[in-house]
Amino acid sequence: MTTVAKEFPLLHPLVTKYLRPERMPHLACAGCGIGQVLHCTLNAVDELGLTPLNTVWVQGVGCSSRLSYALWKGDSIDAHHGRIFAVGTGLKMCRPELNFILFTGDGDCAAIGGNHFIHACRRNLDVVALMFNNGIYGMTGGQVAPTTPLGATTTTTPHGNFEDPFDLCKVAEAAGASYVARWRATDFKPLTNSIKRGLQIKGFAFIEVLLACATNFGRYVLKTGDPREVQKWINDRVVTIKKAKNLSPEKLKDKILIGEFMRRERPGIVENYQSLLKRIKEV
Amino acid sequence: MKGNKTGIFFVQGDEAIAEGAIAAGCRYFAGYPITPAQEIAEILGQRMPEVGGVCMQMEDELASIHSIGGASCAGFKAMTASSGPGISLKLEGLGWGIKNELPYVVVDVQRAGPSNGVATRVAQGDFYTIRYGSAGGNHALIALSPKSVQEAFDLTIECFNLAEIFRCPVFLLCDEVIGHTREKLVIPDPSKIKIVERKKPKDPPEEFLLYPLDDDSVINYPFPSVGEGYGICVSPYTHTSKGYPSTEKEHQDKMASRLTNKIMKNLDKLTKVEKKYLEDAEVAVITFGASARPALAAVEIARGNGMKVGFLRPIIIWPFPDEEIYRVAEQVDFILVPELNTDGQMVREVARASKGKAEVYHLGSGGIDTHLPDEIWEEIRRLKK
Repeated sequence: MTTVAKEFPLLHPLVTKYLRPERMPHLACAGCGIGQVLHCTLNAVDELGLTPLNTVWVQGVGCSSRLSYALWKGDSIDAHHGRIFAVGTGLKMCRPELNFILFTGDGDCAAIGGNHFIHACRRNLDVVALMFNNGIYGMTGGQVAPTTPLGATTTTTPHGNFEDPFDLCKVAEAAGASYVARWRATDFKPLTNSIKRGLQIKGFAFIEVLLACATNFGRYVLKTGDPREVQKWINDRVVTIKKAKNLSPEKLKDKILIGEFMRRERPGIVENYQSLLKRIKEV
Repeated sequence: MKGNKTGIFFVQGDEAIAEGAIAAGCRYFAGYPITPAQEIAEILGQRMPEVGGVCMQMEDELASIHSIGGASCAGFKAMTASSGPGISLKLEGLGWGIKNELPYVVVDVQRAGPSNGVATRVAQGDFYTIRYGSAGGNHALIALSPKSVQEAFDLTIECFNLAEIFRCPVFLLCDEVIGHTREKLVIPDPSKIKIVERKKPKDPPEEFLLYPLDDDSVINYPFPSVGEGYGICVSPYTHTSKGYPSTEKEHQDKMASRLTNKIMKNLDKLTKVEKKYLEDAEVAVITFGASARPALAAVEIARGNGMKVGFLRPIIIWPFPDEEIYRVAEQVDFILVPELNTDGQMVREVARASKGKAEVYHLGSGGIDTHLPDEIWEEIRRLKK
C-alpha cells in the first residue's frame, strides 16, 4: 500500500510529514469537510512544532473517527462509540506530558458519549476535542442525531424530527471547559487558530466544526446531493458572535453562532492531581 | 502508610484485593461506587496517591472500564472493580480490551441478582456473564476465583501477572462473602512476591507488529505504550497485524483465532485447582469461591461419617479445567456442584467436562446466604441413596 505515496508524489507535504501515506486516500465522501479539518489540525500541529512522538490521536466511532483512525504517524487510539473521553481520561492521567487530540462526531459526543463529554468538561481534562457536527448519523446512513434540526426528515424520522437539537458549545461552557469554539470546516484560518489555542491552553478545549454532509444530510434533510447546497444551507444559518451582538432575538432564531465562546484559565484534573500527589509526598 | 505494605493484617477481602493490586504494581484504578465492591475504590483512593498512582472515580461503569483501557495503552497496570448491574455495563468495555489485547484486571465482587437484586449479599451468578457476556464471541477468557482473604490478595497479583503474560483483560471473580469477610492476611516482603512486568519490544518501530496474527498461541508478547515511538494503533475494528482496520476474512479469522487460542493453546499454564480427599473418592463435590467453604466442610462431615467423598475447586475458573474434572468424573459415581445460582452455571461446565462418565447434580440457591455445610451433606446423603 505504500505505493500510494509513490503514485501520488504531489501528496501534501503535511500528509507525508505527519500521516501514514499507506492509509491514504482517506474515506471521506466528495464534498465532505473532514479532510479540511484534518488539514487545519495538521497546520496547527506543524505551527506548534508538535510531533508524532509527543502527540496522540484519539478517536471514537463515526465518520469523524473512521477518517482519522490510524492516519496519524504517532499513536492512534480508537475507542468504542462515545467512550473517547473515558479512554482519554485514562491516557492523559497516566501520561500528562503528552498532547492528546480527540476526534469525535455529534452522535459520538452528544448522544452515546454525552455523559462522558459533560464530565470531561467538568474535570477540565487537558485535551483538545474536535467535534465534527454534520447534523446527522453519516456512517450508518442518515439517522436523526441530537444535532438534527427540528422538523428535519431523516431515515428514522421520515415524518419529521420532533426533538430540539443540542447546543454542545453551551453544554461545554456550562460544564466547565477552558476553551470553547465553533467554526465551519470552511473557516480555515480561524479553525486552525482555534486548534492551536486549544492545544496551548490548559484544560479541556472543545471545538465544534460544522460539516456539510451531502451524502446523508443533503440527501435526507435538504433533498440534494450537491455539497455546495449543503454548505450554502450552513452559510445561511451561520452568524459570527460579533455580528450577533447587534441582532435582535427574532433575527437570531434558528441561527448558529460561530466564534470563540470561552477562553479561561481554570485548573483542570491533571494539575489538581499533580498538586495532590505533591502534597501527599510532602506529608 | 506509604509504599507497599508488609506484615500480618486482619482485613476484608476487598482490602486484600486493593493491597494485592498495589503489590502487583497497579498504578491506575478507576471505579464507580457499587456495593459490595466500593471498599476497593475507597481503599485505593487512599493508597494510590501514596504510591504515586492514580485513582479515579468515574461518572459511570462504562467510563471506568474504558479509562483503564486508556491507562493500559499508556503503559500502566490498571484495574477496575464492580458488581451486579455494574458488571453488565463493564462488559461493553471489556470487548475493546479483549480485542486490542490490553492487559488489565477487572474485579467482580458478585452479589445476589439479577438486576440490582440484593446489593449487600452473596451470590454466584456471574460465572457465565463474565465469560460470554461481551457481544461478538470469538475470544477466550482468564478468570480466577478466591475462597479466602489471603487468596483474594494472592490471586489479584496473579491476575495482574497473567494479564501481562497473555496480554488480555483478566477477571478476579470474587463474591460478597469473600469481599466482606475479615480474616488474617499475610503480605510478604515485596522481594518475595513474583511480579511480571510489561514486556517492551526489542524490534524497532518499523518492524514491530502490534498484533501477532500469524501466531495464535504466542504469549509474553510485547506491548509498547503510547509515547514510546511505536505509533500503536488500537481500535474497536477487526485489525491487521499493525492495527489497521480491516474487513478481510483473513484478518477476521486470524484475529478471532488468536483471541481464543492464545489462551486455549496454553492451558498448561492456566490450570489451577485445589483437590482434597480425592484419592479413594466415590463421590465428588466441585464448586468455587465462597461456596467452596461450606462444600469442603460438608465433605469433611461425610468423611467423618465414613463416606468416601472428595473435593475439587477450580481456582482458575476460566479457562475451565476440563481435564481435571474428567479425571474425577472417571473415578466417582456422581458429582455434586453446590453454587449460589438457580440456573446452574458451573454445573454445566462440570457436566460438559465429565463427558458422561459420572452423574452430575446441581445444588442451587438464589444466594443471600451461602449453603450451610449440613445442606450440602444432606444432599450428598440423599443422592447416595
